[in-house]
Amino acid sequence: MNTITLVKKAKDGDKDALVELIMAQKKDYYKLAFIYMKNKEDALDAMEDMIVILYENIHRLKDEGAFYRWSKTILSNCCKRLLRDKKRVVPLAEIKEDASEVGYGQKDNQIMLDQYLSSLSDKHQEIIKLRYILDLDYQSISDLLKIPLGTVKSRIYTALAHLKKNFGGDRYE
Amino acid sequence: MSEIEQMLNNRKQELDQIEVPEEMEARLSDALTKRADKKINRSWKKLIAVACLTVLLAGYNFDALAFYGKKLIGYDQVLNGTLKQLNELGKGQLIGKTHTFKNGTSVILDGVMLDDNQLLAFYTAKDPKGKVDDIGLRVSLKGFLKEYFMSGHGVMNDEKTEIKWVASFEPPLFLEKTFDLQMVLNEGNKSETGQITFKLDRSKAMGYTLKQSLNKTIEIDGSSIHFDTISASPTSTAVNGSIQNIVELAKDQLTGERIRPGALKLRLIANGKEVASQSGGMSTDLKGITFHQEFDALPSDLTSLNIKLESFAADHDINQEINLQKTLHDLEVDIEGQSIVINKLHESNGDTYITITTKDTTVLKRVHLIMDQNRVDLEETINNSYNKLVNDGVMHTRTLHFKGTGETYRLDLERMTYKKVYNKTINITLK
Repeated sequence: MNTITLVKKAKDGDKDALVELIMAQKKDYYKLAFIYMKNKEDALDAMEDMIVILYENIHRLKDEGAFYRWSKTILSNCCKRLLRDKKRVVPLAEIKEDASEVGYGQKDNQIMLDQYLSSLSDKHQEIIKLRYILDLDYQSISDLLKIPLGTVKSRIYTALAHLKKNFGGDRYE
Repeated sequence: MSEIEQMLNNRKQELDQIEVPEEMEARLSDALTKRADKKINRSWKKLIAVACLTVLLAGYNFDALAFYGKKLIGYDQVLNGTLKQLNELGKGQLIGKTHTFKNGTSVILDGVMLDDNQLLAFYTAKDPKGKVDDIGLRVSLKGFLKEYFMSGHGVMNDEKTEIKWVASFEPPLFLEKTFDLQMVLNEGNKSETGQITFKLDRSKAMGYTLKQSLNKTIEIDGSSIHFDTISASPTSTAVNGSIQNIVELAKDQLTGERIRPGALKLRLIANGKEVASQSGGMSTDLKGITFHQEFDALPSDLTSLNIKLESFAADHDINQEINLQKTLHDLEVDIEGQSIVINKLHESNGDTYITITTKDTTVLKRVHLIMDQNRVDLEETINNSYNKLVNDGVMHTRTLHFKGTGETYRLDLERMTYKKVYNKTINITLK
C-alpha cells in the first residue's frame, strides 16, 4: 500500500496504518532519535511520544505526501523535549573520568568526539550530528528543523568554525 | 580538523549499522493503544462539553433557528398551494413531539401555523400494524380557557401505516399560550387518552393581509343576506355575514314565515379569478342566522375583489292549501315563485296517490292531505324520476302516497325548501 493511502487511513483513525507508515522507514526514525538520545531506550521513548502526537494531529496534515517530513520534525522536537524535560543532557566533560576507565580504542574515539561536540551549543551539536552523522542534506535539515536553508548553511559553518577553533589548530593541520 | 571529520564519519558508519530494536513496532502500537486512547478520551470529554454547550445555545435559540431554517417535511401531498408555499418559506412553528399509545399507535405533532383566521396543526397518525385507516382517533385542541374542535383533512400512505393531517382550528383566544393536543383513541370498547403539550409562539403568527368590513346587503326572497366582514390571512380568506339578526328571526318566527337557510353558494373572485372555496358553515343562535365561508388565501398582488352570491337555498314556511279535483291534470301552482305541477291524482286499493313535478332543488316538507276534513300524513314518496332539462336544471317527478280515500281533497303544504339562483355580485373596494 502506498504512503498516501496509508496516511489517509491513518487520518481516519487507523492505528495500524500509522504504525505501518513509521515501520516503513523505521531505520531513519530510529537513527534520528538515536543521535539525539544516544541510547536505545530513550530513542524508543521519543518515538512513542512521537507516534501519539502523530495520531492526534494527523487530521491537520493537509498534504499527505508531506507525512515523513512532518513526522520527523515532530520526532526531533520530541527528542529535544525529552532531553530538556528529563534534564538528561549531561555534559560529557563531567563523565570524562568514567569514560577513561572503559579503556581505549573505539570507545575512546567516541568519547573524544562527544567531548568535542559537547563544547558546542545544543543547536550546533544538533546540526553537526544531522549533517555529518545522519548524513542529511541541507534541504532535509531545513525541513526537519523548520529553519531556512540559509540558516542551515550558516549554522553548519559556524559550528565547524567552533570545532576548528577549539580542537583543530595547528596540531592536526 | 580531519580527525574530527574522521570521528564523525566513523560515527556515521556506526549509526548506519545500528540495528533497529525488534520491539519497536510493539512499543509504538502499545503507545498508541494506551496513551492515544487515553488522550482521545480526554478529547471526547471536550467534545461532549462542546456538544452540551451547542445544545444549550442552540436550544435556547431553537425557535429562531427553526424560524429561519426549517419547514415541515412530508406534507407535500396534504398541503394546498398556499400552505405549501408558506411551508417552503419556513413559516410556522415546528413542534416535533410524539405521543405513543399502548397499542403502538402514535401521533406526532409536527408543527403549527397561526394567523388571524385559523390555527393549523400538522400531525401524523401512525399505526405500525398498517391499519391506520381503521383507528378511532379523535383530536381536539385544549387551551387554558377553551377547547377548540378540529376540521381538516389527511392523506394516507400506500402501506396504510400513517396519515398526515392538516387540522384547522379557529384562532385561539389571545391570552391562550399553552395548548394540549388532546387525543382519544377508541379501540373496541376501550378508549385511551393522550396529549401533547406545546407552547404557541405568537411571534410566528402571520396576522392578516386584508381585513375590512363589507357592510353590503343582497335582497333575497323574504329576507336579505348581509355581508359583514372579509378577513384574509396568509393561509385563508374568510367571509362572514348574517342572514337575519335575532329581531328579524323572532318576528318571522312569530308570524310563521320563518326561513331556515340551507345551502348558501358564494364565490370569491380575486383579480378576475375564482379563489377556491375551502369550507363554510351557518349557524342559528342568539346572534341570529350567521354564516361564514372560507376560501384559499388571496393573491399577493390584489387589484380587485368580488363576492358573488350564486344561489341560496332555504326552507320557507309557506302554509298553503291547494284544492285538488279528482280529475285534475297537470295543475300548475306557483308558490313563492316556484312552480309545482300536480300531474294527476288517483285512487288505488283504497289509498290515494298524487304525482307531482318540481325542480329537483325544490322539496316539499310537512305535506298532508286533507280528505273530507281528515288530515292524513304522507305515507311515502315513490316512483322518483328525474328529467334533465335542456336549459338549466333537473325536474323531479314523484308520487306521494297517502292512506285512505275521500270525496274532497286539499293538499296542505307547511314548508318548502327551494334553491334560488341569484348571481348577484358585490364589489369590494380595496382600502
